[in-house]
Amino acid sequence: MRDSSFPETNFAILSKIISLVANITYSEGELVSLLQSRDTLAFNYLYDHYATALYGVILPIVNEAEGANDVLQEVFLNIWRRIETYDPSKGRLFTWMLNIARNASIDLLRSKSFQNSRKNQPLSETVDWGNNYHVSQPDTATIGLHKLLEKLKEDQRVLIDLAYFKGYTHEEIAEIEGLPLGTVKTRIRNALIQLRNFMK
Amino acid sequence: MNIQEYISSGIIETYVLGLASAEEAEEFERMCGAHAEVRNARDLFEQQLERNAIAVGVQPPRKLKSLILSEVEIDAQKHAPRKSIIEPEKTERIPVIRITPAFWKYAAAASIILLVASTILNFYFFNQYKKTNELYSQLLSSNNRLAREFKIMQAKADNYAAAMDMTNDSNMAVVKLPGVPEHSANRATVYWDKRSKDVYLFVNNLPAPPAGKQYQLWAIVNGQPVDAGMINWESGNMKAPIKNITFANAFAITLEKEGGSSTPTPNAMYVFGNT
Repeated sequence: MRDSSFPETNFAILSKIISLVANITYSEGELVSLLQSRDTLAFNYLYDHYATALYGVILPIVNEAEGANDVLQEVFLNIWRRIETYDPSKGRLFTWMLNIARNASIDLLRSKSFQNSRKNQPLSETVDWGNNYHVSQPDTATIGLHKLLEKLKEDQRVLIDLAYFKGYTHEEIAEIEGLPLGTVKTRIRNALIQLRNFMK
Repeated sequence: MNIQEYISSGIIETYVLGLASAEEAEEFERMCGAHAEVRNARDLFEQQLERNAIAVGVQPPRKLKSLILSEVEIDAQKHAPRKSIIEPEKTERIPVIRITPAFWKYAAAASIILLVASTILNFYFFNQYKKTNELYSQLLSSNNRLAREFKIMQAKADNYAAAMDMTNDSNMAVVKLPGVPEHSANRATVYWDKRSKDVYLFVNNLPAPPAGKQYQLWAIVNGQPVDAGMINWESGNMKAPIKNITFANAFAITLEKEGGSSTPTPNAMYVFGNT
């Protein structure tokens, strides 16, 4: 019996090596240099690793699945095409991608066609739909990164929502809220420090 | 404002999340360049943010991945020449051997190839081993068979040697039992030890007894047949000693039922000879 188990031992080693190769992980530097040399396997890894995190940022901003899908697609294509412009001295790869995702989401939110399609929706849907209106609109605004805001105090939450998820500048927020610019700045910074403490 | 105060002012979070104004960002980048503490603190928050974003992430629809990958694939083919232009230049400038993931890919591929080759060799040797093992057990069984046959032959040879000894013994009376007219081809010989009176029988030529039958030796004493013992057919030609007979005029062999009869069956006599 000992003799017949002889080749099986090698199969065990073989499958272990294959699983190691399949689970290959890249350091951030390796990943960036592979992406810069247009390595599609590395891009595949990038997608598997970060698509969920980025979608969790896009969705609460865009607040609509169809638009969020378009943005995610655009974001990943931008990452692929503009990887040379990533500067490691300014921060981590994820931070760079996160900002691309947020900016693209806010761009869509601000675009005229998107706003028009959104304005039209409530008009047709509020006609006597009553409570159904709220049901039909899935609450995508409080998922992903936006979840963290739930723990903030009301006034802080409003400021972060306006600044981060709606993309208003501090000046615009000061105007909307009727507060001095300095107060807005300080409150936002304090709210961000609070948020950080809620993170793991 | 000292460095620690600057770090804990919220500027790190504001900058990393993309909420800093142009002037704030410019100043922060300058501070990062000048102070490792600021850089490290920024990196710490970035890692925290990344972990958190992954933890609270939302799975995008599955179809999106293949859509995006196919667009990237097309894009990669369009820009393929760029790769080949950039790379040789890079390798010329950096003569150091760099261990990249590609190296590990090749290393893994090479080790898999080696492993497959070794597996094939193992199979080959294992088969060779099995063949040799089979041959060995065949040889072993034929050797055993030869040993068994040799033992039988030796027993036969011993038997013949004993018979030879008896014929050469001057104290041994030899009584030849030729075949009766119905069995003229058959023959047997009785060796009768004059000292011990033991009777031995040598079967020169008798047909094998049919199933359920056995040859029986008789001593004829004063015209009466006396049982001189049953002949064990299996024990070689020399049957010894059958019985102790003090006096006999003649000896005869008949074919009887297994175990023998008290009187010989008429017409069943094969051989007969006077002393």
